[in-house]
Amino acid sequence: MGVPSARSFALLACLALAAPAAAAERPAVVVTPGSNQSFRAALQRFADRSPAPDERRAERFRDALAAALEFSDAFQVLDPKAFLGPAVTRSPGGEDVVCADWTPIGADALIGGGLRVDPRELAVEFHVWDTARCSGLLRKRYRQAADADPAAIARRIADDVVEAFLGVRGVASTELAFISNRNGNSEVWVMNADGSSARPATANRSLNAFPSWSPGGDAILYTSYRYRNRPHLFLTSRAGRRAGRVLPELNGSVSQFRGVFDPSGRKLAVVLSGKSAAEIFTVNADGSGLERLTNHAAIDIAPTWSPDGRRIAFVSDRSGAPQVYLMQADGRDVRRLTYEGTYNTHPAWSPDGRYIAYESRVGGSFDIWLIDVESGQAWPLVDHPRSDEAPSWAPNSRKIAFTSTRRGRPDVYVVDVGGASLRQITQGAGENRSPAWGPFPR
Amino acid sequence: MRRSEFRRLLMVSALVHVGGFLLFAISPSPTSSPAGLPAVIPVELVELRSAPAAAPQARVAPAPKPVAKAEPAPVPKPVPPPPVQKKVVLPAEPAPPKPKPEPKPEPRRELDPAEVAPPAPPQAQDYDDVLAELRAEVGEEAAAPQPTAVPQAAPAPTAGAGGSGPVSPAVAAWITRVKIHVRRHWVVPPGFRTQPLQTALTVRLAADGTVLGEPAIQRRSGNPWYDEGVLRAIQKSSPLPAPPEAGEWPFVFAPEDSY
Repeated sequence: MGVPSARSFALLACLALAAPAAAAERPAVVVTPGSNQSFRAALQRFADRSPAPDERRAERFRDALAAALEFSDAFQVLDPKAFLGPAVTRSPGGEDVVCADWTPIGADALIGGGLRVDPRELAVEFHVWDTARCSGLLRKRYRQAADADPAAIARRIADDVVEAFLGVRGVASTELAFISNRNGNSEVWVMNADGSSARPATANRSLNAFPSWSPGGDAILYTSYRYRNRPHLFLTSRAGRRAGRVLPELNGSVSQFRGVFDPSGRKLAVVLSGKSAAEIFTVNADGSGLERLTNHAAIDIAPTWSPDGRRIAFVSDRSGAPQVYLMQADGRDVRRLTYEGTYNTHPAWSPDGRYIAYESRVGGSFDIWLIDVESGQAWPLVDHPRSDEAPSWAPNSRKIAFTSTRRGRPDVYVVDVGGASLRQITQGAGENRSPAWGPFPR
Repeated sequence: MRRSEFRRLLMVSALVHVGGFLLFAISPSPTSSPAGLPAVIPVELVELRSAPAAAPQARVAPAPKPVAKAEPAPVPKPVPPPPVQKKVVLPAEPAPPKPKPEPKPEPRRELDPAEVAPPAPPQAQDYDDVLAELRAEVGEEAAAPQPTAVPQAAPAPTAGAGGSGPVSPAVAAWITRVKIHVRRHWVVPPGFRTQPLQTALTVRLAADGTVLGEPAIQRRSGNPWYDEGVLRAIQKSSPLPAPPEAGEWPFVFAPEDSY
């Protein structure tokens, strides 16, 4: 008995030694992507552990989380009717997860958790499992004031789940500023990235344009005609202070067309024009230290900062038609970036620094194009007979918001950088334009 | 006297009105402060653990938290953007019908010579199954031409340890079936499709195709999330079609345009 087993052991050992060699000699199976682009999420209803549990509250929370996950385009949420495992989380820590309940229904992710509302706060705990590999990816807890919208936490969770699977944070919890005339005047409004909860940020009954977020997301710089009926830069902040002029000491005859924060939030690039053509300046956020960057008979407008704050892209018609140019943040080394197309304007530098999105006139209307900053290669993001204008990047560089007249009135749309997953996010309320995508919430 | 009193009253009235107006104009509006940037809902992160204690984190932990674009260092070419058709000319006036851009950078699903197994004498009925499956995958209906003219092509020139010498028909057929099978289970988000990512690994297979243990990564892509997705795909694919021999088999996962 002992001899054969020793022999088989020896045989096994031989096989084990031989195996790597065999693998090296075998031809590789080369797998290329199929059509699956999004993960499937099994999303449980969270356990309600409040003093007064409410099934509908937990169900609404699940709906909000499902919507935020779908907004990412990275996940499809599975119908709970297909579940083999529990539809409601039993253990908010995820200790009792049985992966075999979830893999047969095709779930890549299992998301469960618990919520608790008391008179003071709403606390939500959640966990994310990679069901195929049966490992926990993430476990976190959020809390907020009891009377705040629970969907705010749901959006944060969705963004975390996206990051756990893609390595890139989702943007469901970000906001967009935009210009809307839904109440009669062109005012600055703010909405969630999916278009929900639009609310006014200005109400000055004047003309307002070009919203631009501070890097921390606590203020919006915009151009308004509210003062002396001339364009001036104003700042509105969450702190509740009154909106104030940013550069009050400038000569009154100077028009302040537009301003954008640099990535540090300490400086602005601004477009000013006195008697001459519009030029680009930088100025400290407190209005001091005005410096001129461009000096040309042609107009120089529409500055956008590189994410490292060292370069500025802008538009100039010095070649005879508007084109996108690059320069150092001190105005040196101006060089032309766009050569394709006869009318290119409104550049927006991606937060990852790789691309600049801009409007390019094709025929009688504009399309959004992207250009690789280093290689100079350009291509259309989307192609539509109606006008697409004013691109603005999501902070994760994966989506772009823009204005389009494709369905008649101008509205704000969102599309991913591959040109897919187009969504209209404003509708049925006046004209909506000039989206400015805000930063990640802190 | 009366007149001056009236004047005084008038003055007071005017002051009160102007003052009231100023107060109205200056004071923040009581109704949800429309004249200010709306407040954020302060959501507070209470705690953060990378993984539940119950679950040991996978061995291929994405520990060095890479920034959004964790790319492999040696990227020779700047990544060509999503392959939307490159506009060649900008029409000056009446625009010719522009090429419709493809909505997503979906990789081509044609019979790529480099991807199709070496030709084999149509002996095994197994092989017909594979062809049928391939056609179904490609979207072709039944009567497709026999790909008799498929050139040789060793399946994996970049596989590092590519098999030298001819591949047996049985192995070639199996490889094709496995590709189709695994591809169904592999989720590749759009952001990964345009990057030159490549993960090479060996997978230990039982005789019936069951994946044994955790695959061993031979070469990482540089993006931990991509690597994780590959490992996930392998696990979801188990059992694979039964291999010609049990043991370790090399795999390479690569978006088409980088391969």
